[in-house]
Amino acid sequence: MTEYQSRQLQFSGSGGEYFRIWIVNVCLSIVTLGVYSAWAKVKRNQYFYRHTTLAGASFDYHGDPKAILKGRIVAFLLFACYTLVGKFDQVAGSAILLVIIVAMPWLLMRSLRFRLHNTSYRGLRFAFHGSTGAAYFNFLLLPVLSALTLGLLWPLAQQRMARYTRENSTYGSEFFKFFAGSGAYYRIYFMTIFIGVLVFAGLMTSVMLLGSKELIPVEADQLVAMSVLVASIGTYLALFLLAYPYVAARLQNLVWNNTQLGPHGFQAQLRAREMLGIMFGNVLLTLLTLGLYKPFADIRLARYRIEHVALLPQGSIDDFVAGLQTNSSAAGEEMAEMFDFDIAL
Amino acid sequence: MWLTAVYYDGRQARPHPVTLCVEGDKLLLQGRDIVRREELNGLKIPPPLGSTPRLILFADGGRCEVADRQGFAEMLQDAGNSAVAGMENSWWYALAALLLTLSLLAVVYLFGLPYAARVVADRVPVYLLERMDNQFFASLDQTLLMPSKLAEERRHTLQDGLRRLVLPPGEDRPAHIEFRGSPTLGANAFALPGGSVLVLDDLVNLASNDQEILAVLAHEMGHVHEKHALRQMLQASVVGLAMAWYIGDVSSLLAVAPTVLLQTRYSRDFERRADAFAAELLRANGIPVSRLADILEKLEAAHQTAAPKQPVESVEALDYLSSHPNTEERIKRLRGQ
Repeated sequence: MTEYQSRQLQFSGSGGEYFRIWIVNVCLSIVTLGVYSAWAKVKRNQYFYRHTTLAGASFDYHGDPKAILKGRIVAFLLFACYTLVGKFDQVAGSAILLVIIVAMPWLLMRSLRFRLHNTSYRGLRFAFHGSTGAAYFNFLLLPVLSALTLGLLWPLAQQRMARYTRENSTYGSEFFKFFAGSGAYYRIYFMTIFIGVLVFAGLMTSVMLLGSKELIPVEADQLVAMSVLVASIGTYLALFLLAYPYVAARLQNLVWNNTQLGPHGFQAQLRAREMLGIMFGNVLLTLLTLGLYKPFADIRLARYRIEHVALLPQGSIDDFVAGLQTNSSAAGEEMAEMFDFDIAL
Repeated sequence: MWLTAVYYDGRQARPHPVTLCVEGDKLLLQGRDIVRREELNGLKIPPPLGSTPRLILFADGGRCEVADRQGFAEMLQDAGNSAVAGMENSWWYALAALLLTLSLLAVVYLFGLPYAARVVADRVPVYLLERMDNQFFASLDQTLLMPSKLAEERRHTLQDGLRRLVLPPGEDRPAHIEFRGSPTLGANAFALPGGSVLVLDDLVNLASNDQEILAVLAHEMGHVHEKHALRQMLQASVVGLAMAWYIGDVSSLLAVAPTVLLQTRYSRDFERRADAFAAELLRANGIPVSRLADILEKLEAAHQTAAPKQPVESVEALDYLSSHPNTEERIKRLRGQ
């Protein structure tokens, strides 16, 4: 068997170039009272996809702006209904929320279909074949169960969701395979909690030490309460800042390192520390520039996430053939996005 | 003129290195094991997008990727180019778009949103508004609000005083008032979206005479008259929605601060109008306008010494209640009248 060279994904987008596209599209979206935003979204996806290359070929996005516009209108009406009606009548507001929650798995499934069906590489489309029943099991039942068990089942739920999305996805006629077990997910969250405990213990000991040597002005009988308070706030802040980039980086590594497309494997090597630096810098600069840094931030994060994934070919990657074409609506995708409910792919 | 490109047939992932040239109204594509001659009209040529490769999409799913954007534009005479694509490439258009965006946002925020909120507020049915107020009391009674400790007679006196006021034309009845006590909110009165006025015990106890309380009630009636609380709430919802949508993926927590900042301007404007309404009402009833200034001064002093500690979770529930910014400025204006 011949050894094939690993192929890194490349990203060639630049902040300045994307800024110009972004601001023109934002402006047109406002002038057209939001109608153009569907076209802007297609542009945005096309910009990111076409700048992503693997083995010399770029990805592409084919979403139909008119389909996306329809989805946006439905999502906007639902969301506006929920926020406004909720103010007048909590019962009706909760009813709308319930409808949204019940519809969410179906919407997510449609969204995956739309997104993958409209993604291509080397002229072949991706596709998603997940069933509605499994969507309800993975996107509704499991999260509800994990909420009922106070999050104990959340890593398991996440593993099942990742498995559902991967194993039902195809490139051309080839299915993706997914091997990560729930144990690996639990390890990531245990590590997060472990870091939290370490931070808490460290802060608590240092405040106690400083207090007992009278380096900070605290009454002796309040020292314990004081150190618990400082340690709790410190831990909360540390986890708030650290946990998201840490979990995001580790999950992306875990998912890609356990994904196969036909015989080909993948490798992701993101580092939580670098991810933290990028995310923190992005939030800070976006705030300081009153939001104008956002396109640069998007590019920076995309570059980091894309360029740390590689394909490990086991054979020629020219041999993929087209699969059956399916059609799908955009309603799901837009709604999932509007409600800020996205699944990392 | 020839152009090198990579062709994919849409059935297999294999790249075909090809050369392209235009012959009349046809595109000729030639590779080692492929030749295609297609009508230019039958091809889809997406507009250029930044420095991404140019593309030619065939009706049967075939696809050509061309890295040489300049050569592509020359050979196909900028087919597929659009006005928007040209704008996206120019820093001058980007600057113009930025300025236009900022000024449009400013216009919407300063005029569009207040106008829309007023139009909507005038069309919300009364029963919905009353239900909102009931809901408000239902959710805050027993937590932030306690039953009033004022004597029954005292409350009746105040309500009688309010009923005896000569109302400006167009106003058929005085506001409906509800008495409550609240250690957290201290001396205060609020106009609710549905038109009820919430009066807190501490305010009644703080006033030196009933005219001062009537002055505050007149001010709150000004808010009710112009549906300030409802309009504020509608405006806040839209601003909050827009903020959450824009900053949402950065952090929803960070979206709160700018939202709060953006909303204070509205409340300042509303306070001024409610003061004007109160001044007119008081003058019509022979009550000196300075009574409102008096009680405002006392409120300001009381709030500064008490340094009101609002529990965090109550902030959201209360964000449509009238806050009272720039009290000093208001006092000065009232004294000047």
